[in-house]
Amino acid sequence: MAGDKVDPVHQFVVNKIIPIEIGGIDFSFTNASLFMVATLVVATCFLYFTTSTRSLVPGRMQSVSEISYEFIASMLREGAGSHGMKFFPMVFSLFMFILTANMLGMVPYFFTVTSQIVVTFALALFVIGTVLFYGFYKHGLGFLNVFVPSGVPGILLPLVIAIEVISFLSRPISLSVRLFANMLAGHITLKVFAGFVASLGTLGALGIGGAILPLIMTVALTGLNSSCPSSRPMSLRC
Amino acid sequence: MKRCRTCKGYQVAIKLSSEFVAAIIVGALLGYLLDHFAGTGPWGMIVLLLLGFCAGVLNVLRSAGMVAAPHPADQLGKGIKNKSDDA
Repeated sequence: MAGDKVDPVHQFVVNKIIPIEIGGIDFSFTNASLFMVATLVVATCFLYFTTSTRSLVPGRMQSVSEISYEFIASMLREGAGSHGMKFFPMVFSLFMFILTANMLGMVPYFFTVTSQIVVTFALALFVIGTVLFYGFYKHGLGFLNVFVPSGVPGILLPLVIAIEVISFLSRPISLSVRLFANMLAGHITLKVFAGFVASLGTLGALGIGGAILPLIMTVALTGLNSSCPSSRPMSLRC
Repeated sequence: MKRCRTCKGYQVAIKLSSEFVAAIIVGALLGYLLDHFAGTGPWGMIVLLLLGFCAGVLNVLRSAGMVAAPHPADQLGKGIKNKSDDA
């Protein structure tokens, strides 16, 4: 009983809700899929309904939407110039998806989608795929010039190009591992401290007194984890 | 980059270590695939794993801001901007 209460990794188990199998491949609708759909619905509804009044003087909720828009827009303009704004819909969708998924994950008994490396890796592959596709579309084979640094002696060129290619390919892996590790570590720490509160609380008066420390930690970590999701989507670019 | 100044030490640590490890994984994977499909014995993996270490060090130095040359992915963004600005 106490065993499964305190088990800190149980929250990451993926369960099948509706088993679907097409051509021997598992397409089941799992709790991860459910929370991804929930994330989409929540994010879409939030942005739609908060901006539907379109008041000139924004209300509280409309301000939240506008601030997140401004935040991403200024970040993109800073990083990629005004021409980068054609990617704004994609970047903003990614930002809202990750932010909402992290925020939903903070609700007790909810599944954290971004704590699955499959999800974060798929997001990173999507981003790097867009980079590759747009690079080849815009520059053709001249795109490959980004792998040739200027001012390198010819004899070192094959070596340097190989290193640059590996460095480029490592980007999606490092990005996805970073978001995944952040979310995993945050939720496990939170669960462990919250578990201390529960198991110490059953020990009687002394235990309840001792449970105050992990309780404070849990509150602090919840605050930390809820304030960080806003910075964590950024780790996809940072 | 403005963001990164506000990142906490923990996030910098995660960032640097993930950059290093990711390059090694990619190098080893490429080497393994090369050996698997081209049948080049253990040499592909040995060479590419070592190159992966080099790329990892380069990645870390880059994200720590100690190498002037930008990451290929960032360079690309700049290239796109310059080219469209000319046009």
